[in-house]
Amino acid sequence: MTAWDKMRKRLKLNRPSLRQRARPPGLRTAAGTRFSAANLPSKLKLQHCSHCGHVQYPPTELCGACLEDGLVFRDTDTGGRLLARSDLHHSLWEYFKRRLQEGPWSIASVQLDVGPTVLAHLGPGNLQSGDRVQLFSHSDASQSSVLIAVPEATDLESRQARREIVTALGLDAAAIRPGGA
Amino acid sequence: MKSYQGVVLTTPVSLGYARQSPHSAGWYVGSVLRELLKGSGLDKSDVDGLTVSSFSLGADSAVALTQQLGLCVRWLEEANVGGVSGVLALRRAARAVQCGEAEVVACIGGDGSAHRSFELMTAQFSNWSIDAAFPYGAAGPNGPFSLITRHYMDTFGARREDFARICLDQRYNANHYSPALLGHKTLSLEDYLGARPIAGPLHLFDCVMPCAGGEGFLVMSEDRARQLAIPGVRILAADECHNAHAEDPVQYRAGWTRYASDLYERAGIGTDDLDFLQTYDDYPVISMMQMEDLGFCAKGEAADFVQNTDMRFDHSGRGKVKLPHNTCGGQLSCGQAGAAAGFLAVTEALRQLTGRARRNQVPEARLGLVSGYGMINYDRGLCSAATILAGGDL
Repeated sequence: MTAWDKMRKRLKLNRPSLRQRARPPGLRTAAGTRFSAANLPSKLKLQHCSHCGHVQYPPTELCGACLEDGLVFRDTDTGGRLLARSDLHHSLWEYFKRRLQEGPWSIASVQLDVGPTVLAHLGPGNLQSGDRVQLFSHSDASQSSVLIAVPEATDLESRQARREIVTALGLDAAAIRPGGA
Repeated sequence: MKSYQGVVLTTPVSLGYARQSPHSAGWYVGSVLRELLKGSGLDKSDVDGLTVSSFSLGADSAVALTQQLGLCVRWLEEANVGGVSGVLALRRAARAVQCGEAEVVACIGGDGSAHRSFELMTAQFSNWSIDAAFPYGAAGPNGPFSLITRHYMDTFGARREDFARICLDQRYNANHYSPALLGHKTLSLEDYLGARPIAGPLHLFDCVMPCAGGEGFLVMSEDRARQLAIPGVRILAADECHNAHAEDPVQYRAGWTRYASDLYERAGIGTDDLDFLQTYDDYPVISMMQMEDLGFCAKGEAADFVQNTDMRFDHSGRGKVKLPHNTCGGQLSCGQAGAAAGFLAVTEALRQLTGRARRNQVPEARLGLVSGYGMINYDRGLCSAATILAGGDL
């Protein structure tokens, strides 16, 4: 990349976004892309090690426990406990900046019963530290699979039920700037 | 572990703090090197070791800088470990000097701050962050640290008023350290509590301001420093540990727990003997975590500790225990200059121990502890490092 290209890119990033549609961060690593693909048809798929059974998250190439090259995406139990929640009032990303104009955006860390600790978008239900939750994945407006934590009693069996939660959060639609280009 | 006898740290340099800067990281590293040479009276050809820490060198690396700066070294290190860069650099460099692999090592941290470069760096900080942290609100470090802070408050009952103690005393210190970017402003408890919310329990004054800046120091033998007639600081003990306590679902401690008692034993001192403490203060809860893990108080009791402790450099606060803490204001008041922020605590400690601090000089500072923490790979800071330093005649 030439210096001029770099400068142009920098200037582009400098401007407040005039885009009509802003979407969640779509950048993923190769492992993250495979996570997105594996989760498209499912409620929740995480990597399980076919050698030692370790459940791995965030997605990687080698098992973080036994270092074997045997991770496969498998359907995973959705149960977990909410460790901490945070209501964000500030974001570095245009999509969230627009969502934040309507109120804080909530995220949480969740410890899954199968082991890993994950960060997730927080669904409805005013969940607090210690609450039992379920975790599911759904594609966002950038076509990436993201994790959403909801109260334990939520029925997540049908695809439509999961989609309704995501739509209520506004995650599956771009954030629109009226009059944007 | 072998002692660091015979090696000294000299010539602390801090320069160019700016909220935004047209200069690159290379400019900062080179400018620090220039000031190191001026301050020590050494020639460029005398420097035969270099360690560089920076997040924003872009396509360059430490070796590219040797060509740009016309430097020929026989010992080269690039330690991109954020908040522990300074302590790691001094450990590596001290061993190199001890073993004769280099005679004079320049340890430099520097980062530029182009407009919005912080956003770019945050969005691509690590693979796990790209895949599993940044997409959730894109809050940068504020996201994981708001969860860590919330968990700490839930578990140990700490309140925002306790975090305020750290921020307020540090701002007082910064008011006496002119390079601090926020040093011209005072901070009251009302200001702190009334600040706008950022993420969960974190409000504006809990968060550092990203900025540009350069920091550095020289490592050489005691004899060399004596010849040059420059004051030096000895390393009594130093240690590091990374990715400790990975089994904790939320971070409330880090690697210091593994070596803190060993560190004091090797240095032959206790916490009461220390004249000051410099912690890595990217968020006040992290400074409190360090006070606990490094033995200043028991786990979970840092809230009480900071309420009863005067952390001002000149002992002018109301607390009964006197422990000057982050005597130049720390990152919370100076700004966080990328990887150079991991050097700030070291250079400030060197200024204090050589009597080179100006208006913020701790009276009769002889012994200080410097602690580093950093690298939010996903949900927590992985790195921890600490060192006990001693001033005095060479």
